Amino acid sequence: MADDTKSGGSEKKHIGADLVIPAVALIFALYYFSTILDSPWTAQVSAFFIGAVLITLIAVFVISGLLSVRRGEADLGLQRLTEPLSFMPTRAALFALTLSFIFFVEWGGFTITTFVFVGAAMLLLSRGRNWKFILALSAVLAIGGYFLFVYAFEVRFPKGPFELLMAQVL
Amino acid sequence: MTHFDRGASRRAFLKGTAAAGVAATLPLSSAFGASFPERNMQVYVPTREGGGADRNQRAFAGVWKKYLNTEFEAAFYPGAAGRVAYEKYMGLAKADCHELIFGNMGPEVLNWVVEPPTFDLNDFMYFARVDADPGIVFVKRDGPLQTIDDIVAEGKKRTLNVGVSRLAHPATLGMLALGRHTGAQFNPIPLSGGKNTRAGVETGEMDFGALPAGGIVNRPKNFKVVLMFTHKNPLPDLSDNAPTVNAKFGTSLPDLVAGARAYGIKKAAIEKYPDRYKILTESLLKVFDDPEYKEAIIRTKAPWELIGYGGPEECATYAKAMTDIGKDYKDLLTGKS
Amino acid sequence: MEFDPGLFIELFTRMFGFWWVILPAILLGLVVGAIPGFSAANTIIILLPLTLSMDPEIGLVFMVAIYASSRMGAGIPAILVNIPGTAGAAATPLDGYPMTKQGRSHQALAISFVSSVAGGLLTTIMALLAMPWLSQVAYYLHSVEMIVVMLFGISLIASIAARDTLKGLIAGFFGLMIGLIGADVVYATPRGTMGLLELYDGVPLIPALVGLFAISEAFVVIERRSILSDEGQRLMEEAGWAETWEGVKIACSKWWHIAWTSIIGLVIGVVPGAGASIASFVAYQQSRTYSKTPELYGTGHVEGLVAPESANNGVTSGTLIPLLVIGIPGGATAAIMLVVLQYHGVTVGPDLFNDKPQLAYAPFTAMAVTYFLMIFTILPLARYMSKVTVVSTTYMAPIIISFTLVGAFVSRDYMFDMYLALAFGVIGYVARKTGYHVAAILIGVILGPLLETYFLRALKMSQGDIMVLFSSRLGNVLWVGLFLSVGLSLYFEKRKKPGNADDG
Repeated sequence: MADDTKSGGSEKKHIGADLVIPAVALIFALYYFSTILDSPWTAQVSAFFIGAVLITLIAVFVISGLLSVRRGEADLGLQRLTEPLSFMPTRAALFALTLSFIFFVEWGGFTITTFVFVGAAMLLLSRGRNWKFILALSAVLAIGGYFLFVYAFEVRFPKGPFELLMAQVL
Repeated sequence: MTHFDRGASRRAFLKGTAAAGVAATLPLSSAFGASFPERNMQVYVPTREGGGADRNQRAFAGVWKKYLNTEFEAAFYPGAAGRVAYEKYMGLAKADCHELIFGNMGPEVLNWVVEPPTFDLNDFMYFARVDADPGIVFVKRDGPLQTIDDIVAEGKKRTLNVGVSRLAHPATLGMLALGRHTGAQFNPIPLSGGKNTRAGVETGEMDFGALPAGGIVNRPKNFKVVLMFTHKNPLPDLSDNAPTVNAKFGTSLPDLVAGARAYGIKKAAIEKYPDRYKILTESLLKVFDDPEYKEAIIRTKAPWELIGYGGPEECATYAKAMTDIGKDYKDLLTGKS
Repeated sequence: MEFDPGLFIELFTRMFGFWWVILPAILLGLVVGAIPGFSAANTIIILLPLTLSMDPEIGLVFMVAIYASSRMGAGIPAILVNIPGTAGAAATPLDGYPMTKQGRSHQALAISFVSSVAGGLLTTIMALLAMPWLSQVAYYLHSVEMIVVMLFGISLIASIAARDTLKGLIAGFFGLMIGLIGADVVYATPRGTMGLLELYDGVPLIPALVGLFAISEAFVVIERRSILSDEGQRLMEEAGWAETWEGVKIACSKWWHIAWTSIIGLVIGVVPGAGASIASFVAYQQSRTYSKTPELYGTGHVEGLVAPESANNGVTSGTLIPLLVIGIPGGATAAIMLVVLQYHGVTVGPDLFNDKPQLAYAPFTAMAVTYFLMIFTILPLARYMSKVTVVSTTYMAPIIISFTLVGAFVSRDYMFDMYLALAFGVIGYVARKTGYHVAAILIGVILGPLLETYFLRALKMSQGDIMVLFSSRLGNVLWVGLFLSVGLSLYFEKRKKPGNADDG
């Protein structure tokens, strides 16, 4: 994993993105504590110990980060999370497609949803090139996946039109 | 060891594989027409594969399917001490008598004492108990404690660690009641399931254990039963004639049947399809008289003596008794004293 | 349980005669092991109607072969695409995947196969010969001792954190905190579950693994055309059988490493409830501690791949020992085997060795034969499997996402788990982009709840007395070992720091 905190040729480190994980961890730890305040000691002991260490680590990290901002060595830019910027729209679209895949698989069933998702995602990443190959590949993967997961391994996926039809045919 | 004819075995294997392949291609539901059951029966199991409930359900459904002309599919949801299975069942299962739940009533009813479910308990009922496995106290066969008197005497000198499946369990309640009555100090350690509890006692980490009898009496070389939490000892030969708690200590505890596995159903299914419910209840009764069922149970090394039918009323009475004693020990079960 | 050479020769000959069961089972095991969410345990359950219809001995051979080969299968995607097939292979990508990126996937696969087979074979034979003594391990490693064993694994977080201490530790402790989600093991009080019943039993491992490794990888990797570096791509184009053979030679030269790390797996496997994930983390951590080049771990270092692969295969034979000797299964797959054996009326436990010695020893002889046949089956495939890595990310990323999401679903049949995998995918993406090691988070998620279980059990047994942690002689020896191990690791780290630039 590359750990180059400088980017864009600027001299300053962009440490804003580095604070995302600690922020999420801190919020989660505080939320966790709120759920165990009235609990028996068995529920609390590990969490308070681990949470305390986590919060201390975060505090040291944030303070040292803020000090470097104060010294003018760093800023709170979020660039590291988004760079290279040109990929962000593609990545956001891929995320939306993945979310839709999970959402629609309940109605569409495994095969059709996988076909649509894999096809759309590949077209997105190839920027529309090789569309015939991609459609054929998506069909092969979806049907292959159907036979492997639904038919052979009997995965209890929600059944869609394709699975219901195949159940009648096979 | 059984010596096998390898040629014949290979043929059997290939035949089995082929048969399984062909069977899988048959649309089972359509093969038997539109009468109930119209499709495979689905059973929600609140414990893990390989546990006592799985074993019992497999054996029972293996014969019941003959009378219902359909297959049984079990789905295991061991989450949250069985809560997940009940919530899933009440939330997702269709109320058409094809979907049932098969659980161990005692510990699962005690769950609701500790924390009520999100659904209304009045919408659900158990309708057929298939076994009554008494809660017992057991020790390691060659361990330092050999009788219940040893345990009580030692428990008065020091706090003894008792391996239990979970805190909200009839066998645990039995231990707590015994401690309260005799003044012995027992510290129940929940070990998440019978398998781990047996391991805890076998390896000597626990001083002794409290579980349903079924998983213990079939391991006589490892364990010895020293007390039963029921009015009668249904397994005198298999349990070294262990005394019952009320006879031994003069207590008046209710029958702490620790393994009372039963099929449950949504009441809405019964109201909507009384004819289907009737088919279910009538057909399942036949299973108990079927020699194939007895054979299947004996093959799993579970004692046949513990198998017995209990109807909806018996199930309700048992569930209420468990709820009442659970309320009595609620503080100890939740750690909020 | 006395050693009888005649019996063993007869058993081995017999087992080779079952090649027609073992070979299909090996292929099936490799496939299910490689797909996250599938495992030997759930495959055996799916095939239960078939297994139960078989002769007990054939059924046993079939299950054992699936079990052993699935363990090896789990390492394949871990090496090739950074996605461990099971939690037991979670330490494999630490060095396996960097090797792939460098275009050394042939080598990495061959090393993994040889380590798995050699580790598996060695521990299986050790299990056969030393079963009565090994089974005693479970009588000594109680909760207190297991706490220290878990800490050996968790201390790997500190090793991973060596490059960026604060970030590594934050990632690890964040993982541990996530690992605490769910009901506590004593009073079943729900904690941090956000009111979701699906999280009552804690964070399910497969969705966490799929999200942190696979989904996040897919989102990152689309920035490049290939997962390989430019140099890696060139090497892959030139690679052939020679690279596979090279991998075999490298692995063979590490025979001592394979031996001792697989023994770690064997010993941990014997303890009921422990498992392949803890064993591979402990083995990796120990391997790193006593290495002369700890700084190379994580960069595609051979020992970093050998250790977890040997150890998790050592676990496979280990888990069968308590099952056969005391009738208590060491893990999930062993528990399913118990169900099948019980169905056939076979009572496992000490008597089995007197009543039906052939059947008692059969699992180990079957496993040894499986490992033996496996190396010839799988090694020639390494070259073809490696081709996966040259597939363009345009095709790879969507396939990874869709198929691993299926895996996230399969382990519990919850739709929720797919959303959870995606959530972990986002965390993993942010972590990768900002230099937090996802493996450190995963170690916390996997080992945190195990550690807590043993910790709470020990505390409940001592009624809250924390000194219980130092109450056992063996435990204290292990504590000293732990401090030495972490201390040495830090010492070597410090000594190596100036002037190491070689990143493998």
